[in-house]
Amino acid sequence: MSAPTHSDRAGAAQSTANAALDPEQLEIAAGTARQNVEGWVPELASDAEIRSALEQAFEYRGDVTITRKDGAKIEGYIFDRSTGDSLATSFVRLLPKDSHSRLKISYAEIAALAFTGRDAAAGKSYEAWVKKYWAKKTTGEGEASIQPDALE
Amino acid sequence: MPVPISQGLTVAGYLLKQKLAGRKRYPFVLMLEPLFRCNLACAGCGKIQYPAHILKSELSPEECFKAVDECGTPMVSIPGGEPLMHSQIDKIVEGLVERKKYIYLCTNALLLKEKLHLFKPSKYLTFSVHVDGQREHHDFSVCREGGYDQAIEGIKAAVKAGFRVTTNTTLFDGADPNSVRAHFDEMMELGVEGMMLSPGYSYDKAPDQKHFLGRARTRRLFRSILSNRKKSWKFNQSVLFLEFLMGKQHYKCTPWGMPTYNVFGWQKPCYLLQDGYADTFQELLDSTEWQNYGTESGNPKCANCMVHSGYEASAVDAQLNGLSGLWATIKSALAGNYEDADALQMLNEPVKPVHSFNPLVQISSTDSAMEETRA
Repeated sequence: MSAPTHSDRAGAAQSTANAALDPEQLEIAAGTARQNVEGWVPELASDAEIRSALEQAFEYRGDVTITRKDGAKIEGYIFDRSTGDSLATSFVRLLPKDSHSRLKISYAEIAALAFTGRDAAAGKSYEAWVKKYWAKKTTGEGEASIQPDALE
Repeated sequence: MPVPISQGLTVAGYLLKQKLAGRKRYPFVLMLEPLFRCNLACAGCGKIQYPAHILKSELSPEECFKAVDECGTPMVSIPGGEPLMHSQIDKIVEGLVERKKYIYLCTNALLLKEKLHLFKPSKYLTFSVHVDGQREHHDFSVCREGGYDQAIEGIKAAVKAGFRVTTNTTLFDGADPNSVRAHFDEMMELGVEGMMLSPGYSYDKAPDQKHFLGRARTRRLFRSILSNRKKSWKFNQSVLFLEFLMGKQHYKCTPWGMPTYNVFGWQKPCYLLQDGYADTFQELLDSTEWQNYGTESGNPKCANCMVHSGYEASAVDAQLNGLSGLWATIKSALAGNYEDADALQMLNEPVKPVHSFNPLVQISSTDSAMEETRA
């Protein structure tokens, strides 16, 4: 599965080009085009693949699972990343799912990465909401809403 | 600006102190997010898309006080998430009032009536209620039928109990300027102290990625809304920031002006973008590569932004910039109701909100389908 990149934002090349020409003339700010990466297990064969995959993980709206080179697995939310000249000087910071500690993991320590958590925004588009609203109105089922996810 | 004199003087004194100290980058309002959990799931919001264990996390009152002391601003805005869902929000507010901070507690007001007893009216505490327009517009914006009525009930209860209350309204593509103006009338009739406005920011993580205003359309929309304004309307914002939204002023982004602290730390570079976190406010100032942000930087993530968190501090700073700032302020005072015949004409242009399109009804032609999504 291929994963989205930063360049997918704002209608990809078109928006970037528009912004570079004159952002003041933008009528609509095209949003980010996202592919579904839930369940994705990226190849981490090269330095470039590791950097790219961890950037996706930083942008992801769910938990990921990191397997360290010593075999330890950590599942949690990546909230920060810092990229240096080498993998050893690049790291992610993560809040584990099962503790309140903050972990800092060097890219060089990472053997595998998986997008194991659910994408927290999946299925909640404005179009989905409008469709739900009109469906409720048509069937007379009462008040419509999109509810936040249960936390348990 | 419709705020108590003591607040105006405190803020003015703080700003002058920063200028006299020659601080190039200084904070204006701290955005304190004590939690990300919310009881709404607005499609255009990119603030709450986290796994459950993050949504359950809360800043403790002590962590909030440490951040507030570290940052030093006289005003603290408490957004979220929904702050009234925080288990110790009363303690946080109490501690900030003790510190004589002017607090704007940003709430969707679904819980306001129920939790009002936790707070005492004070000149330091304002409930800033999220109302995105008239009933239908608001309910569609927050993806909750009935949300508007609950918010209005909360506003009425808070005003009646003697609290300071303002509203904040975020506008997306498809907003109807006439309806927004009618919304202003309704809010002022409720007795709110003032209103705040902002175009929606194109959050990367928001579920909806299709209705964010670009800069050109933002300026037209706000010009049509804010020109020929009524005397009864009070805005709780810098006059020059409102002129910026109308296209009458041009500013560069000052993302450090409204720094954000939340369960991850100090957010780089601003309230809207998440490009990493610093552990201290000083580290945020020192380690953020500020030149990479703001529309002028060419960063596509900043291309459409005209949001208060980036530009209201710019407008306030500009007011203090010698004669040019003074002249801009005098001109804005003389502008009165911003009479503008062209803007008045714009109010007559047909508008069909995006949500009025029923996708369950088959559209007969491509042209009519296109029309439905035009602002």
